[in-house]
Amino acid sequence: MKRLLGVALGILTAIGGFVDIGDLVTNAVVGSRFGLSLAWVVVVGVVGICLFANMSGRVAAVSGRATFEVIRERMGPRAGLANLAASFLINLMTVTAEIGGIALALQLASGVAYLLWVPVALLAVWLVIWRVKFKIMENVTGLLGLSLIVFAVALFLLKPDWGVLASQAFAPSVSQEEGPGVYWYFAIALFGAAMTPYEVFFFSSGAVEERWKVKDLMQARMNVLLGFPLGGFLSVAIAACAAVVLLPAGISVTTLSQVALPVAQAGGQLALAVLILGVVAATFGAALETTLSSGYTLAQFFGWSWGKFRRPAQAARFHMSMIVVLLAGAAVLATGVDPILVTEYSVVFSAIALPLTYLPILIVANDPQYMGEHVNNRAVNIAGLVYLVIILAASLAAIPLMIVTGAGA
Amino acid sequence: MSAEKRRKIEPSEIRPAPRPAGLVLDAQLHLLDRQVLDVDGVPVTTVDDLELSGPAPDEPIPEGAAPPSITALLTGPVLGTRIFGGRPPSNRLIRIPWDVVSGVDTVITVGVRSDSLEASWVERWLRNHVIGRIPGGSHDPD
Amino acid sequence: MILTDLLGSDVVDSKGERLGEVSDARFALDSAPTQLLSQARLVGIIVSPRTASSFLGYERQGMTQPWPVAQLLRWWHRGSFLVLWEDIAMMGSQEVVLRPDYVAYESGLPR
Repeated sequence: MKRLLGVALGILTAIGGFVDIGDLVTNAVVGSRFGLSLAWVVVVGVVGICLFANMSGRVAAVSGRATFEVIRERMGPRAGLANLAASFLINLMTVTAEIGGIALALQLASGVAYLLWVPVALLAVWLVIWRVKFKIMENVTGLLGLSLIVFAVALFLLKPDWGVLASQAFAPSVSQEEGPGVYWYFAIALFGAAMTPYEVFFFSSGAVEERWKVKDLMQARMNVLLGFPLGGFLSVAIAACAAVVLLPAGISVTTLSQVALPVAQAGGQLALAVLILGVVAATFGAALETTLSSGYTLAQFFGWSWGKFRRPAQAARFHMSMIVVLLAGAAVLATGVDPILVTEYSVVFSAIALPLTYLPILIVANDPQYMGEHVNNRAVNIAGLVYLVIILAASLAAIPLMIVTGAGA
Repeated sequence: MSAEKRRKIEPSEIRPAPRPAGLVLDAQLHLLDRQVLDVDGVPVTTVDDLELSGPAPDEPIPEGAAPPSITALLTGPVLGTRIFGGRPPSNRLIRIPWDVVSGVDTVITVGVRSDSLEASWVERWLRNHVIGRIPGGSHDPD
Repeated sequence: MILTDLLGSDVVDSKGERLGEVSDARFALDSAPTQLLSQARLVGIIVSPRTASSFLGYERQGMTQPWPVAQLLRWWHRGSFLVLWEDIAMMGSQEVVLRPDYVAYESGLPR
């Protein structure tokens, strides 16, 4: 059991990266418009995040330094500040969206108005960050978030035409109505979602929270190899459900209830209940991950004491900044903005933050002063460099494509 | 852009350097932007700048003058001026005197506790006035 | 004097010819110990012929991986050299002036 729970950090990180509220909806949108023809992007993204999360986990275990500390040390304060600004905005937008997402899921379950759930969600997230031990937090949200496997179960219950799904996935093509611009915009959005920087910041800081050392390197690898592919699998399952039910019917996805439609159709009330449990757990987990990430990045840039392993009075600036972020998120939600819309625009800042995040990781993972004998081997370096090129290309294309396609409209 | 002539140093003119006796540190590589930990391993701040004991700017240095040394690590508002230009007045600089530094590695360790340093005043203020006042703020996270 | 006033300043020789920019400052802990560590005495400045931004220090530490990054940065900083304190005539607010008989040393860190 301990072994099984030992991969909870990887699972929680992946949940926040692949199936937070923004991704839940984006995957359903992609499935309903493109079928599975973008599934290959998820695979590319999963390999990329596995590669870099493993590197940053190794850096954290061997040197005791979390990724954002390393970014400022190796790239200098200007690049570090640019990264901090972009990451902070991404985190703020995502926290806002997740709190909104928790409230939306609870509204779906209870029928009580969404805005009434927002303060409840806010308080619950804050209490967990304030008092609950890191290990308990990751185990509970990780395990409950796995209920999203109901999407895969629903897919089987729907008895789809596997041949059609396979041909969409393995011979991708752009349909007439959609066009290449929108196709590539969603490809970049999915790739950026798979490799969002807060995943590595959270994973490496979590590695420090859990006190991983050199002897835990195998466990670190297991976390990565189990968690992120699982997240990718869930992403594809959601898209596949939408491809089977929503695409033929031409239903466009704008609300959470449309995302849930295939599952309700396949398994009825019981499946729907499991789904809601999974969505609440996943968005709650994502809210925790992004709030903590905003605290980690600020604290690590400025050199504050940080960590849930310290009592709050010993990490006052860390906790203060997270309280401010949560309150700011709630204030944005109070203006009535659609939380799902907010995440669509965080793609822009992700695009800027991606290269600034991954280049320093690759560099430090090669530095013997930090890593001793555990520096990268040749194969990892080559793969890392290939991915840096892909990341740079995605980062350069994101904003123009967003403008040209009107954010995928 | 300077209108002075550029002179390029040929590689043949570069000689092997003399070796100093003790530990050699380059400011940008080893000191600037590094994390400072106190004697208990608690993070204090990052090093935003360094204060040297001399020389006086724009004055010619006499032959045989002793080299300056690092008097303090600097943090605080000096980070803003380092990135954007300018310099804060001397009395607004937050200093960690060099003589409390006990080790330089991938982090810089000081031999005293964080609370005794001027550099931790924001942390102490927030602890006393905000975080410490919220219920549960002083409890161990268990 | 604050260090970042110095970093990035132009370096000129006694005839006024520009040699480059100050990309770093080297210190040695080899004098009498104070309380915990010895005093950090300025050994000299590292001058880079092109630009001062040397954030990764590849040219001084002999790191060779990741290969393209290392090659790129070594090439960018080729011709960097160390100037000792004794050869500095003046550290001004605009530029650093060297003495007429200065010697350019290798900038690699001692191992």
